[in-house]
Amino acid sequence: MSKDSQPIIRVNNLTKSYGGFQALRGIDFEVQRGEVFGFLGPNGAGKTTAIRCMLDLIRPSSGSLLVTGYDPQRNPVAVRARCGYLPGELRFDENITVSAALHFFQQLRGATAACRRRAAVLSDRLELDTASRIKNLSKGNKQKIGIVSAFMHEPELLLLDEPTSGLDPLVQQTVMDLVAEVQQGGATVFFSSHVLSEVQAVAGRVAIIRDGSIVEVSETSALSARGKVEVRVRFACPVAPEKAKLSELTGVTLIASEDDCRFLEFTVSGNMDGLVKWLAAYPVATLETRQCGLEQVFHAHYSGKEKKASAISLS
Amino acid sequence: MRSFWTIFRFSSWRLRWTVLGWGIPLMLLGMITTPFYDLVAENERQLRPVIQGLKPLVKSFIGGEQAEDLFTPQGFLALRYFAFLPVILGIFASVVGSGMLASDEERGILDFLLSHPAGRSSVFLGRLAATFLTMVAILLLAWFGLWLGVLRADSLHFPPGQILLPYISVLAVGAFFLTLSLALSMTMPSRVTAAMTAGFIVLASEILTNLAKAIMELKLAARFSPLTYFQTNAMSGLEIKPLIGLLAFAIIWTVLAWLGFQRRDIRVAGDGGWKLPFLSR
Repeated sequence: MSKDSQPIIRVNNLTKSYGGFQALRGIDFEVQRGEVFGFLGPNGAGKTTAIRCMLDLIRPSSGSLLVTGYDPQRNPVAVRARCGYLPGELRFDENITVSAALHFFQQLRGATAACRRRAAVLSDRLELDTASRIKNLSKGNKQKIGIVSAFMHEPELLLLDEPTSGLDPLVQQTVMDLVAEVQQGGATVFFSSHVLSEVQAVAGRVAIIRDGSIVEVSETSALSARGKVEVRVRFACPVAPEKAKLSELTGVTLIASEDDCRFLEFTVSGNMDGLVKWLAAYPVATLETRQCGLEQVFHAHYSGKEKKASAISLS
Repeated sequence: MRSFWTIFRFSSWRLRWTVLGWGIPLMLLGMITTPFYDLVAENERQLRPVIQGLKPLVKSFIGGEQAEDLFTPQGFLALRYFAFLPVILGIFASVVGSGMLASDEERGILDFLLSHPAGRSSVFLGRLAATFLTMVAILLLAWFGLWLGVLRADSLHFPPGQILLPYISVLAVGAFFLTLSLALSMTMPSRVTAAMTAGFIVLASEILTNLAKAIMELKLAARFSPLTYFQTNAMSGLEIKPLIGLLAFAIIWTVLAWLGFQRRDIRVAGDGGWKLPFLSR
């Protein structure tokens, strides 16, 4: 089988222990070429440990890894040449200028003209002042150096660990745009984060990691669909809803009623048609819906049970 | 190989202020020390009985049996200048060697550097070569200062090549402590503990080597002291065996440090440090 037809990341029963503490407990997953793969988990779940094993920065206790077709322990330079990495905790030599740092990283990557050109384009796009000394930059601006360095050589695989950490919303959006662009260009993105909305926005598949174990790998759309929609309705005047009809609606649960039934809140799983038709009989002033799919599944894995809405009865 | 040169060039450039920071004071030390020989030579009649009257233990710290060589040009340079240089360079080597990799590792810089296509060996060797070059540059500045001082002194007449010889011995001592502290930084939990341990060995070695000049019982122990193999009088000829001995150990420490660096997990910022049970909460 050629390298191009293999998964770009193949992790097989990977464990990593620090003394008595197990940071990774035999994780398995595969990432296919060209996809954006979300890696979700809170701080300390093992996301960074897994990425650092992929780059041979730390050595697994057991298990095997293939990244871009190479074993990182045997061919670390080959793996790193094909990867762009943005760590969550980004540190630089503070006494040099941004341009000196980027020049150094370009030299390590072979200093091709294309790499230099792309670094200049990315710096402009992120509004990175390359003449400044790194010690004078804010956390967000330092993060931009990491972004330029990770993307400038157009790698096959991008390993992004909390890539939007410390960035303002505009630059966060630029990063998300960059992720989408490199995916269109054929690159693979391994997107590690604890920010659910951004993973949901870019990732085609998601792995959820908890206490060093993968608890679920699934299509993002499938996970989202498993969640419910929250519906909040405010009526123009107090209403007396027909309880009997409401209880007949499948998948609809009333979870809150306030202000003398002027405000009702429901969760809906599946089709909303029945609820919309039921509401049509009343003077609706405002109606808000919120999809809480991935978040609900994530919380379910972390709390050990589905974050269930408790039904109330209308009195 | 490309990444080796890139890292070597960048590391050398980063160390440029270290060269000036250590090299210029040592250059000035050489320039200031040498003219004093004229004064010492003029006052030999008064000073010699003072030295002769010193107790052996005190005398051991100003050259022991060679203390009276102070009145010869070569002896003066050996006792008043070259005797201190290996201790100064040993402390420098302990600080720089322990920080060569561990300092950037503790600051989290090494993590990002090693995510680029540079092998651990390239990083290790590139930085070691740059640090060694820094030490050579510092010693060249020191030599230049001493040579300027010799030119200014009326009674000192040495060609520049002759005063260069003891620096080769100093360099071997520096290489020993540089690689020792580097190896310690790869095995100890923090850079500071490695630097302190190597620095302690430098000072202990200096004291042991000097005391062994007066206390016969310490002669055997002094054989294990690295500074015993420093050639204070190298201006009259450099012995190859002590040089090879020091450099052989430097190679052993280098190999141990390299193996340690190859096998270790690269730490991220904030790791490291010894936790003493009675101090931890």
